[in-house]
Amino acid sequence: MRLHYCLPLREDQLIYELSRKGNPMTVELEESMLVRVQLENFSIDEELHRVRSRSRRIGGIAMFLGTARDRSKGRDVSSMNFDHYEGMAQKKLKEIREQALRDFAIIEALVLHRYGPIEIGENIVLIIVGAEHRADAFKACQWCIDELKKITPIWKMETTPEGEVWVEEHP
Amino acid sequence: MIPGGKDLEVAFSEGGQVKDLVHTIQREYPQVGELLEKKKVLVSVNQEIAHWDTVLNTADEVALLPPFAGGSADL
Repeated sequence: MRLHYCLPLREDQLIYELSRKGNPMTVELEESMLVRVQLENFSIDEELHRVRSRSRRIGGIAMFLGTARDRSKGRDVSSMNFDHYEGMAQKKLKEIREQALRDFAIIEALVLHRYGPIEIGENIVLIIVGAEHRADAFKACQWCIDELKKITPIWKMETTPEGEVWVEEHP
Repeated sequence: MIPGGKDLEVAFSEGGQVKDLVHTIQREYPQVGELLEKKKVLVSVNQEIAHWDTVLNTADEVALLPPFAGGSADL
């Protein structure tokens, strides 16, 4: 079955429609929406809804949102651009979600990163973790963002008064 | 593959290991070779970080990966 995203339905509506019809692809599609590398901005409300609607047992949700700041290592930054290794970046984010679900007492995790040009103040990266209790949600959320920085092939180029600079970070 | 999508072409024999590829790159592209030697740049094979003794085949997807910056250390 081919899924046409050009339908006048948002992805969550599409998932709902498929789910109502008992389509076996629903689970896979829902899970693919929980791990994304995308060009466009994301809505925090929509992503939060996506996680909390996965289970009524969720009692605590922890979130990390990374945004583009205008200063880095003593330099002014006017904009930035993220490059990623297509395929491997998605694969690593998927591994992070799966390992978080295995290693922490959590119910759901969403891992999302943008690429392409990003203006100062815009969203870059989002982690949302739902658990029964807050301590597990906080721990898993911190682990996910730390692991993302370590193993995900995504690179940042900042535009500064001195020119464009690839940023190398050592958390 | 490196940021910006630049490709390097090197002659390489089937069944060689990553360390052989690194030696070839060191000869043909010394600046890239130095970064590989210092582990500033990692090698991935089929989208997994490779070890120096990983065996390479013709159909493998090989990439050179500079240090990642998924967001920033102090976001």
